[in-house]
Amino acid sequence: MSGPVNIRTLAAGTRVVLASGAEAEIVSNPHDGVWLFARYLPAEGDPAGAGEEEMIFAQDVVEVRG
Amino acid sequence: MHRLSGYRPGLVDNATGLISREIFVNEDIYAQEQERVFARSWLFVGHESQIPNPGDFFLSRMGEESVILCRDRKGKIHVFLNSCRHRGMKVCRYDDGNTTVFTCPYHGWSFGTDGALAGVPFFREAYHSELDRSKYGLIEVAQLCNYKGTIWANWDASAPSFHEYLGEFHRFLDLILDGWDGREGQAELLGGVQKWIIPCNWKWPAENFSGDTYHNISHRSVDLVGAGPSGQSRRDYGELNVARKLHVTIPDRGHQTITYALPRDYQPQAAYQNSPEVAEYFRHCEEERRRRPGANSRLIGAPGEIFPNVALLPRQPRTLAVWHPVSAHQTEVWRFFFVDRDAPRAVKNFLRDYYIRYSGPAGMTEQDDMENWNYAHAASRGVIARRHPYTYEMGMGYAVENYEFEGLRMPGRVVDLTKAQASEEPMRNLYKRWAEFMEADNWDDLMTWRHVSAQAAQ
Repeated sequence: MSGPVNIRTLAAGTRVVLASGAEAEIVSNPHDGVWLFARYLPAEGDPAGAGEEEMIFAQDVVEVRG
Repeated sequence: MHRLSGYRPGLVDNATGLISREIFVNEDIYAQEQERVFARSWLFVGHESQIPNPGDFFLSRMGEESVILCRDRKGKIHVFLNSCRHRGMKVCRYDDGNTTVFTCPYHGWSFGTDGALAGVPFFREAYHSELDRSKYGLIEVAQLCNYKGTIWANWDASAPSFHEYLGEFHRFLDLILDGWDGREGQAELLGGVQKWIIPCNWKWPAENFSGDTYHNISHRSVDLVGAGPSGQSRRDYGELNVARKLHVTIPDRGHQTITYALPRDYQPQAAYQNSPEVAEYFRHCEEERRRRPGANSRLIGAPGEIFPNVALLPRQPRTLAVWHPVSAHQTEVWRFFFVDRDAPRAVKNFLRDYYIRYSGPAGMTEQDDMENWNYAHAASRGVIARRHPYTYEMGMGYAVENYEFEGLRMPGRVVDLTKAQASEEPMRNLYKRWAEFMEADNWDDLMTWRHVSAQAAQ
């Protein structure tokens, strides 16, 4: 497992991988270092979840795809 | 040996004019008044100009507690308790700013600017999506009022509206919030808020600003220095010499003030001669003000107090001060300065310099006051000192109702100070209301004016 991701530096449009394996695209960043507003991208096995906008907790972000 | 453990009737004795020192220095009484006074009263929180845009917030206080004044994404103004619903941590630790969410730094719970709980870490995993997030939004005040741009809030849903709470005293608050030329609601906040701590009970400044004209000797040195903006001692001596000097108290509300009523045919005098531009601005405003209909055109504002802890200073420096209780022995003062929104920049700059010189922690008169309150409080804490009540007997029995001066009617009970110079009617009024709050179990008992109206109707 890689080190913690500093989510404060992530811009809108950045794609991130979550602990669940799902991928999401950042919609906006309140820059509080704790939350991101992101939209889920289509994922294998969970096509219904795609497009949903949710608040993503910093500890759930495990990788930045760029 | 008996030691007082808390409030009891009789500590404020308006029949004799004696008031126990315990109400200032007793820590149990202080704890009781947080519940009985501050949790039930309308309190000043801030000004709408501090949060002009969606997402703007200003960290304020109500009594001892931290609150967030903010404007949500739809533009609605809210006041929330600054405490996370999970473990109570402050969700906002900045004095002001703009945000989309208030995030608790402890476990990460996050709240929208409308107060709704928006983010719960591990909501699906740890809470199994079972937590009812709608139950855990930020705690919001029961009532909020935007009065001419000033934001007031109350934790008690059973309290009367702010307008009813203020009663006829609104005209004295209007002297700050309306334009100097008499146009309604033209004031804006000038600069930031001055904040500092004084080692005394909050009732010392509340009493002083209720209308203590007796302590003017404390400010004698300032008057002698002649550092006023008119290049002489006080710019308003000309007005004050022809006006009726009054104490006005609203007995069933607990508000009181000093005010000056000008003769009907009075013509404004020149002032602010140190700056021609400022002098011309105020000359123009005074002329306009007297042209407008309304009783306030002949009133000169002076220190006053809105129960329990907001002080007015409608004359220059034009300010509201809030006496936030910190402990029985400490008060945090927040002073807000106002100026006409449409005033020229040069006038605002001139007034800023004058305000700072006069008021605030480094202000010439405020320093005098703090010295008095600080030492009076400290000298009242000892066991011997506490045995001896303060006297508030000055001018007892001299207040009248239906006071009128050349057609200008005053609300409430009035003491004409033009010859007497001073009375302690405002302080008696403040403490009478304070005692009513300490003794009444509900707002129905406190709204005595409604009972009077109901009886009159029968």
